Amino acid sequence: MTGRDRWTHRAAALGVGLLLAVPTAAQIPSHPTDLIYQLLDFTPPQAVDHRHELSNGVVVYVVEDHELPLASVSVQVRTGSYLDPADKIGLASLTGSQMRAGGTATIGATEFDEQAAFLAAQIGSFIGGTSGGANLGCLTKDLEVCLDLFFDMLRNPGFDEGRLALAKSQSIQGMERRNDATRSIEGREFGRLMRGTSHFSTTQRTRASVEAITRDDLIAFHRRYFHPGNFIFTVSGDVDTTAILAELERRLDGWEVGSESVPPVPAPDFTPEPGLYLVDKPDVNQGRVALGHLGITRDDPDRYKVLVMNDILGGGGFSARLLTRVRSDEGLAYSASSSFRAGTYYPGLFQAGFQSRSETVARATAIVLEEIGRMRTELVEDEELRNSIGYFVETFSRSFSSAAATAGLFAGDEFTGRDPAYLATYRDNIASVTAEEVLDVAKRYLDPEKLVIFVVGNLEAILAGDPERPEFSLEALSPGGVSRIPLPDPFTMEYPSP
Amino acid sequence: MPMAMMKRLSVLVCAWWLLGTTPAGAQQVDVEEVVLDNGMTVLLLPRPGDPNVSAGWVAKVGSVYERPGITGVAHLFEHMMFKGTSTIGTVNIEQDLQLIAQLDQVKAQMRVEEAALLEAHRLGRIEDPADPSLRTPEHASLIERFDALLAEQSELIIKEDFSRLYSGQGASGMNAGTSYDYTIYFVNVPANKLELWFWMESDRLLNPVFREFYSEREVVHEERRLRTDSTPTGKFQEQFDSLFWQSSPYGWPVVGWPSDLEGITREEALSFFGLYYAPNNLTAALVGDFDPAEARALAERYFGRLSRSDQLPPQPRTREVPQLGEKRMTAYAETNPQVSIRYHSVPDGHVDEPPLVMLGQLLNGRTGRLYRALVEEQQVATGASGGQSGMKFEGMFSLGGTAKDGRTPEEVEQALYAEIERLKTEPVPERELQKVKNQNAASNFRGLRSNYGLMNQLLVREAWRGWETINSDQALYDAVTAEDIMRVANTYFEPENRAVAVYYREESDEPPDPRLAGLDDQERQQVTQVLAMVEQATPEQLGQLAAQIEQMSGQAPEENQDMIATLREIVQEKLAADGGAR
Repeated sequence: MTGRDRWTHRAAALGVGLLLAVPTAAQIPSHPTDLIYQLLDFTPPQAVDHRHELSNGVVVYVVEDHELPLASVSVQVRTGSYLDPADKIGLASLTGSQMRAGGTATIGATEFDEQAAFLAAQIGSFIGGTSGGANLGCLTKDLEVCLDLFFDMLRNPGFDEGRLALAKSQSIQGMERRNDATRSIEGREFGRLMRGTSHFSTTQRTRASVEAITRDDLIAFHRRYFHPGNFIFTVSGDVDTTAILAELERRLDGWEVGSESVPPVPAPDFTPEPGLYLVDKPDVNQGRVALGHLGITRDDPDRYKVLVMNDILGGGGFSARLLTRVRSDEGLAYSASSSFRAGTYYPGLFQAGFQSRSETVARATAIVLEEIGRMRTELVEDEELRNSIGYFVETFSRSFSSAAATAGLFAGDEFTGRDPAYLATYRDNIASVTAEEVLDVAKRYLDPEKLVIFVVGNLEAILAGDPERPEFSLEALSPGGVSRIPLPDPFTMEYPSP
Repeated sequence: MPMAMMKRLSVLVCAWWLLGTTPAGAQQVDVEEVVLDNGMTVLLLPRPGDPNVSAGWVAKVGSVYERPGITGVAHLFEHMMFKGTSTIGTVNIEQDLQLIAQLDQVKAQMRVEEAALLEAHRLGRIEDPADPSLRTPEHASLIERFDALLAEQSELIIKEDFSRLYSGQGASGMNAGTSYDYTIYFVNVPANKLELWFWMESDRLLNPVFREFYSEREVVHEERRLRTDSTPTGKFQEQFDSLFWQSSPYGWPVVGWPSDLEGITREEALSFFGLYYAPNNLTAALVGDFDPAEARALAERYFGRLSRSDQLPPQPRTREVPQLGEKRMTAYAETNPQVSIRYHSVPDGHVDEPPLVMLGQLLNGRTGRLYRALVEEQQVATGASGGQSGMKFEGMFSLGGTAKDGRTPEEVEQALYAEIERLKTEPVPERELQKVKNQNAASNFRGLRSNYGLMNQLLVREAWRGWETINSDQALYDAVTAEDIMRVANTYFEPENRAVAVYYREESDEPPDPRLAGLDDQERQQVTQVLAMVEQATPEQLGQLAAQIEQMSGQAPEENQDMIATLREIVQEKLAADGGAR
């Protein structure tokens, strides 16, 4: 019986199954595709049912869950490392971490840690690339006193000088290892090839930029961005909605909403140059490969088709073509995958990657390119398409697997300005993708001519290839030129001229 | 907030699984245990929430059940369990089985040739036994024949059929992990696909076909290269394990020694299956949105088909011999200078384990004794941690720290000993002990949040002392006194009972940790902290951590997803305990 026959059979059986409460016969079907399932009854929660506004306009999402005596409160803040001054790269990130680490105006850093630890409260703060935030997790019985600590940190961080000095020295010490791991090198250099060297996402802190940061800089950065006008709150767990809203109202009372608007996240102004780029790390036995080009934004009308297309190519783990070919067929790598990120503020990346023994890097790369090519020339098989669609449709409910996940999803969408209406149509949009549409988006959104192929590892062994399979050569696979990238000084990030 | 408390209490009364909360925070997880006629145990824990079920089963076997020559077979076997059955993974089972038998025959002949090459290598006559130019014409033609049979077989194989049948029905997170003491197989299925789980799991226990055995052995070898040989400290940690454990099977790596990975035969894997995968050596667990009556009926219908084994699975016999003198290892690695210290302690569930665990918690965290003393006050280390790891048959207590720039690992070592000396001579202040008890209670609640974490905990506990310990252990931890801690500190922390590894930085470019890539320094520090935590964590703590990370990934902004992905990778890797997960 072929896969297609089984499916037809299963679809017919499903029609019958709908009429029956449970399968009647206690028989075991000879193949799992002959199993009969009841329809999954799941209606996603609505953002609007959990959205509240405080009197000062601050939005709060609350999702109650009383199963365990635990409560979580978090806040997302409009800020980010994209706002770092050019000579003080690292300021945003340090401000974010030192809010939590540096105590408050009235509680010393050590004492703050001690109080939080005694209450077994998880309190954190951070500033990432395009947002910042703080979070609290605690036992319900301690929520009141934990909120005291949390809001004191949020509003009056102490930025202890000693803690800041320690964090700065750790940051500088950490730079020493920048060129150690092939994954670090890949992350940094592939980013520069994709986004250019001036975009905030590829700008690196240096010894000088970190040393230049002072406590006053942290205080000013915090004051500028941490005010209720930039907040969205998320509350979940063992809380009462009315009571927690009153708590937040009270605790934000008198905290002025700032008038200055936060500048938009800048898109990179850069077009990647296709080609093969090599970094030499003579003493590793595994080569690490990343290849890709620019992708799409989150609002792209083709995003669902692209999602399914990439899932079949390399996103779907053990079932995806890349892993099946590279790992199972050829035994060349432990993992191989691709991602097609739909960017929030600017186009994300299409990226495929794997690690393989130096000798087999070229062969594995050729397989990945072949599979990308095949996506653009052949219709995917019905079974692949059904499996991929089935996966997305049936795992949709996992996005709401906890109160915290649900509240976080809603707040994240509001923060990035996404209409939650997409949740209602998500499953239908996925389910309607056809094999022809997959082929169409593969042709339009995968482009072998535009690929940047990045390889880090023992170049001598990698370029020599596999003596048993001399037909595979890495250089021959390049869609453009071949360049070597030298490793930068890890403290200044200056690149030696090649 | 009194209102919220009341609401919770009223919910509690009608909750399906009851949390009997006391001020100390003990929980009761109300599992229904079903034992089938064939001896297989099934644990049922229905839980309201999203329409999904975390489903898994544990085989009470891991690498300590192996013997020299077949180290790594438990893990390799775990890989084989995804290769299909007589129904799954092939278009023609009769032809497939014929080809497998022929492949086995040719492989047996090849082994004779390989043995000759291995002997020549042993005697120093050849450099590389895998060098094709050294093969006899007979050997070369056997390989040709083998490859031809493989090519024929590949026409019949449906690649990753097992995985695809699951994922196409919305199952997610399918994976497995092998540790020293157990092997776990798990997946999340949508609530309406529970029967699929019973079908798939009972089929691979009832009708397994170990196809593609020799290529999968290669995959595992590659995994070994990636995790052990290519990481800066991986290969040293493996040597340290073997140095620390003298006679115990905990001394060989879960992933196996290279020579064994090159030599294990399909027949040996089959006999391993026969010994350890009988239903009376297995426990399954379901946690999530399902009807227990339906699950019981399905368990009997599907798993009831397995036959009980008359033979009890052999248990590891060799215990660790008492250590007589301190052992030391000096290593030059691509890592910051650091020290790692281990003391022989007690296995999981020993009466001295709760005080040892509490002692470890006193040391850890930002307010723990090690961070305070070594990082903040003496500024000798950038990080330090310690903790008890009780496995089924043996246990150890670890201490470790990374030297600050300009300080030496020996200074870190002495500072760690000083903290241990304090614990031997000064009773722990009451508030400090209460702090770690509060943290322990809170983290137990946190560990119950996700269905996956709870399922994982039940299965691991089942492989050790029984799932019921999820309810009974908390009281043992709450009862620990300052005197208990002082007593165990004086019992186990003697120099002749320890092994010490000192790492110096080697100035070349081996990666210190490939998992830290693509993260900024701040994130790296967080990840490094989690890495240290993960090194010390017990499997149930890891389960909790995994659940926390899933929670984080739901809440965290996009730019932190890279770090979260890294954390997830680290925990999943460790969950598979030094070499397990697919």
